[in-house]
Amino acid sequence: MKIVLYSGGNEDDNRFLNQRALELTGVKSPKLTLIPSSSYDAEDDFRFFVQEFSKLGVQKFMHFCVDIPYTKTVLKEAMKSDLIFLGGGNTFYFLKHLKKAGMFSHFSKFLKRGGVLCGLSAGAIILTPHVHTASFPHFDRDENPWDMKNLSAMRVVNFEFFPHYKNSKRYDAELLHHSKKTTIPLYACADGGGIIVDNDQISFCGKSHQFFQGKKLTISNYLG
Amino acid sequence: MGNTKLKESRPSKETSKVNSGFPKFQEIDGNHPLKKQVPEAVVEYQVRTRHGGNVAFFNFDLAREIGLIPENHPDELTKELKDEILKTFSIVIINEYDMMNNFNFPKEEIRPNTYMATRYLQLQHPCKKGTTSGDGRSIWNGQLTHKGKSYDISSCGTGATKLSPACNINKKFYQTGDPTVSYGCGYSEKDEGLSSLFFSEVLAKNGLETERVLAIIEFAKGLAINVRVHDNLLRPSHMFNHLKQNNLPTLKRMVDYYIERQVKNKIYKNAPTDSKSLYDYFLNKVVETFAQMSADFEDQYIFCWLDWDGDNILMDGGIIDYGSVRQFGLYHHEYRYDDVQRWSTSIKEQKQKARYIVQTFAQIVDYIKNEKKRSIDDYKNHHAVQSFEKRFFDYKNRNILMKMGFNSKFTAYLLENHRKDIEEFRNDFTYFEMAKSVKGPQKVPDGINWNAIFCMRDILRELPQLYLNRGLNEKISENEFLDIIKSSYATKTDLKRTLRRDLKIRSFQKNYVKLINLASKKFKEAPEKVLLDVSMRSSVINKYDRVTGDSITTIVNKVMNRKPKLSAEEISVVLKEFVEYQNLNPDKERRTSNFETEKEQSRLVKGMLQIVREYRDGI
Repeated sequence: MKIVLYSGGNEDDNRFLNQRALELTGVKSPKLTLIPSSSYDAEDDFRFFVQEFSKLGVQKFMHFCVDIPYTKTVLKEAMKSDLIFLGGGNTFYFLKHLKKAGMFSHFSKFLKRGGVLCGLSAGAIILTPHVHTASFPHFDRDENPWDMKNLSAMRVVNFEFFPHYKNSKRYDAELLHHSKKTTIPLYACADGGGIIVDNDQISFCGKSHQFFQGKKLTISNYLG
Repeated sequence: MGNTKLKESRPSKETSKVNSGFPKFQEIDGNHPLKKQVPEAVVEYQVRTRHGGNVAFFNFDLAREIGLIPENHPDELTKELKDEILKTFSIVIINEYDMMNNFNFPKEEIRPNTYMATRYLQLQHPCKKGTTSGDGRSIWNGQLTHKGKSYDISSCGTGATKLSPACNINKKFYQTGDPTVSYGCGYSEKDEGLSSLFFSEVLAKNGLETERVLAIIEFAKGLAINVRVHDNLLRPSHMFNHLKQNNLPTLKRMVDYYIERQVKNKIYKNAPTDSKSLYDYFLNKVVETFAQMSADFEDQYIFCWLDWDGDNILMDGGIIDYGSVRQFGLYHHEYRYDDVQRWSTSIKEQKQKARYIVQTFAQIVDYIKNEKKRSIDDYKNHHAVQSFEKRFFDYKNRNILMKMGFNSKFTAYLLENHRKDIEEFRNDFTYFEMAKSVKGPQKVPDGINWNAIFCMRDILRELPQLYLNRGLNEKISENEFLDIIKSSYATKTDLKRTLRRDLKIRSFQKNYVKLINLASKKFKEAPEKVLLDVSMRSSVINKYDRVTGDSITTIVNKVMNRKPKLSAEEISVVLKEFVEYQNLNPDKERRTSNFETEKEQSRLVKGMLQIVREYRDGI
């Protein structure tokens, strides 16, 4: 399975991860599909997506929203892509609509046939077993006005992911508290950083931290 | 019935101009140049203060644009501003009924100047010459000049005038607010104002000429005064009445007034100075305006009940009176509005009505130039009418290229060099756009419709990205095409494949690809690059959720029923967000995205957008 989790960031911040994600496709002229978290202003997201990956020579792009009705034709075409990129936004809204659209089974098939599945922020959290990390810290969390109770997600990786991490006491306090309650590690990455999973290999981009059983560990060996 | 002035109740000096922090408001005092230049075209009324009003909405952006408030004024309805708005616009006319019944109003409440209701032709009036018709429940507050441009300001719901249909059909004057007549009572309602507001702001944002709502003053029982602004509120019908009455002097003065105003506002540029050439120039402008307007309305599915009387439209092609204006999600070309005594025209008949308006202007110009009125039939093949026909299709060609997503460079080249190829594609496009459901005509709440079944915006949005991924040589199958293009109105039977339909699907794609390749070849850009640009632009232009008439009605109900009630400032914020989302200009400056920005829409706006989605295929 080829998976890339992005924390977030602006323009050039993710150049390294973008490059690695494209390399993982193993295709000279890859086809890329953006699935934004929401169709509201999705055109802006698409424009930015094209702008960033065009710099790396990509020419074939699609975008595809799951929170509005879509056709089989477009879905089928999107699943033929070499790389699918799940955008950021409200994690709960995105999860709700991905589930409603039955997208997880499509993504599983996509991964099995060698496609690269990327996620940024909310899109990355959705690749983990559940989306609890979107609910904290209390000063910077996603709203859940739909009061979603079932927070289980795709589980294509066996760790939790915390995007937009800032190395500060108040973040650490909440992350350490959360890590005491779970049995899997939580990886926190700052903007511009992320995690690359290439089958059994996991590598980190940018300075990352592991929170596990109430302890914080800084990962010193990282790419980029 | 002439111009009416009160004798007993004299205006008080106390209501005259006083110093205020908003001096421009003082200029809105009933004075308007039309009163002096064409006095026969207006009926003047004295007005008095109407109490009990509250400012339900104020358009801060528009107020800044016309210089009513300083540019640095925040979007905040201060007490001073609120008082100024109410003082200026919360008025009601003293009409014929009031006079006949010797109503005496407190002197201090009567304004020093008269306000005019304008006369114009209206088909719903018994007199087909426009001698008794015009503003039935509106008055013009005045004219404001800012940065060299003048704006007309009028208010709807300011009392029953003698120009309303009810007054002339029943041959009696009505007291303002008389509950036995609806439209004739002279009042308007808050939901009318809000509908006009949301609709007009969306259309204005997308580059269409339209009246815009400046303020809504609400009263008890859902009543309101709705204040509107445009740089020139004259309609063709303001001239057609004088033509029908063979009143050459008044007609000429009205046309001259209009031309002079457009020149002053720099909308007419390089206008000739000799009068005969100036009238020809004016006619050319009318041709251009109405050709573009009718093509735009047809291509953007805007229905505005255009008719021979030249009402419901402004001289510059702007939209006015949103009561019967709609924007369809699909090309519902069989929809007709039921106006009790008559059916409206349909969207596809609008072009013929626009053509007839041009024909009437050809008659007007000839009449003015030669001082002899000839039959309207003599102008059927007038060069202005022929020119209208040509320009209409020029605009249709331009519109289809823009809708496809071509930028202005590609569009200009294709228009100049490949008209035939564009028209071939447009023919295929029209074939699908016009397709109707096998279900036949259906009743809808306010009229009748025969549902269109295909959503052309969807195919224009999805096709370029499918080609981009598959390659231009790999067409999409007939089933895939129908899968994308089908709307919520299409039944299984509607989607049946036929030989002709299959051929059209292939032809559509062949001609689409041809246009892409022509642009690519000329500018030496790879077809994929052209497609990518087209794809990104088209995703904005043909956004999944675009407002329709029904969605606006539902949104307005939502705003009206909102508890706690939205303040004027809150409506302003919600409106801005909503309108920004409905801005379908692919060249607009877009926010910097890192494709993860938390969307800013408030929950109310998201609710509105959800409504837009639900009604996206409707009328």
